[in-house]
Amino acid sequence: MGKDPVADTLELGSAAKEAQYVHGVYAAIAGHFSATRYKAWGRVHGFLAGQGAGSVGVDIGCGNGKYLGANPRVHVVGVDYSSELAGICGARGFDSVVGDGLALPLRSGAFDFAISIAVIHHFASAERRAAAVREALRVVRPGGEALIYVWALEQHGRRRFDADSQDYLVPWVVPGGGAGGDAVYHRYYHLFRQGELEALVEAAGGCTIVDAGYEKDNHWVVARRTGSSPQHGS
Amino acid sequence: MRLITHNMLKCHVKNCTDPDKQFPLRFKDAKLEQIEAERNDEFLVRMLPRIEWAALATTANELGIELPKEVPANPADDDAFLQGLHTAIMEMHVKEGSMLCKGCGHEYKIAKGIPNMLLAEHEI
Repeated sequence: MGKDPVADTLELGSAAKEAQYVHGVYAAIAGHFSATRYKAWGRVHGFLAGQGAGSVGVDIGCGNGKYLGANPRVHVVGVDYSSELAGICGARGFDSVVGDGLALPLRSGAFDFAISIAVIHHFASAERRAAAVREALRVVRPGGEALIYVWALEQHGRRRFDADSQDYLVPWVVPGGGAGGDAVYHRYYHLFRQGELEALVEAAGGCTIVDAGYEKDNHWVVARRTGSSPQHGS
Repeated sequence: MRLITHNMLKCHVKNCTDPDKQFPLRFKDAKLEQIEAERNDEFLVRMLPRIEWAALATTANELGIELPKEVPANPADDDAFLQGLHTAIMEMHVKEGSMLCKGCGHEYKIAKGIPNMLLAEHEI
């Protein structure tokens, strides 16, 4: 496979696909990924800055931890499936744990807020994406908010995707990382259509969508937890 | 990992559902390191509602860190309490060891300050 995204036609189960084309890739590229992921997105930063002093939050799929210290008046726990990335957060002085977004090792309603930035598009089936949304909502207290970002199918940046498929293997290139030149790794993505993320959040229940939009090739939603619980997960 | 984060963790093994046992996880062979941090009283007072106090106090005491059994009536005015709380949840880092579930006995390892909370496929 080359350096362009290719439609995903792999005959693999969802968990196996994520193991090879998400977890395996992040384990391999963690250092290079982290070195290129330092710029905080404005809206995410705004969401974090708007959390009151003494709030406790969770960053689900925290990567290299670029949001964990964005607001010094709050405490944010980082969770990532990649022990390499969680380790990078730890080395930066942040609290992080290795964990699975489908089964968060966290108390229900423990957090004032949650963020899930560019993570849920890595789950390889509709059921698993729905379960990941339910888990994110489960750990937020009633009245607290979750901010979720996912890649959009409708992209205006340098990558273009054929609207015929929503599931892609997207290359990550580590310059000079291979024996004969660049190393190319493919990550699995499910690209969300306009409205698809809102539908997923609404189906999860236990929340109301208070804001939603499109920014930098991503769809995003802010959901506020209501008193009732999200539908029971997996 | 600091105790403020530990206070949010629970066992999530599939058939381990007794809320009185899956939380808090009990430390085993914990190696602690104190890293000085600037005390922020506004943060400490405002985050108190997010803490399960009994679990925090028990856990801290098991690690040899003193915390009172109950939060004082006016924590914002209690300098000694705030200093103890600050030390317990913001300065003490668990670097190595593991955490045990009192319900199912699952052991979560901690390496370089990072707990591994992943489960095997059959435990999810």
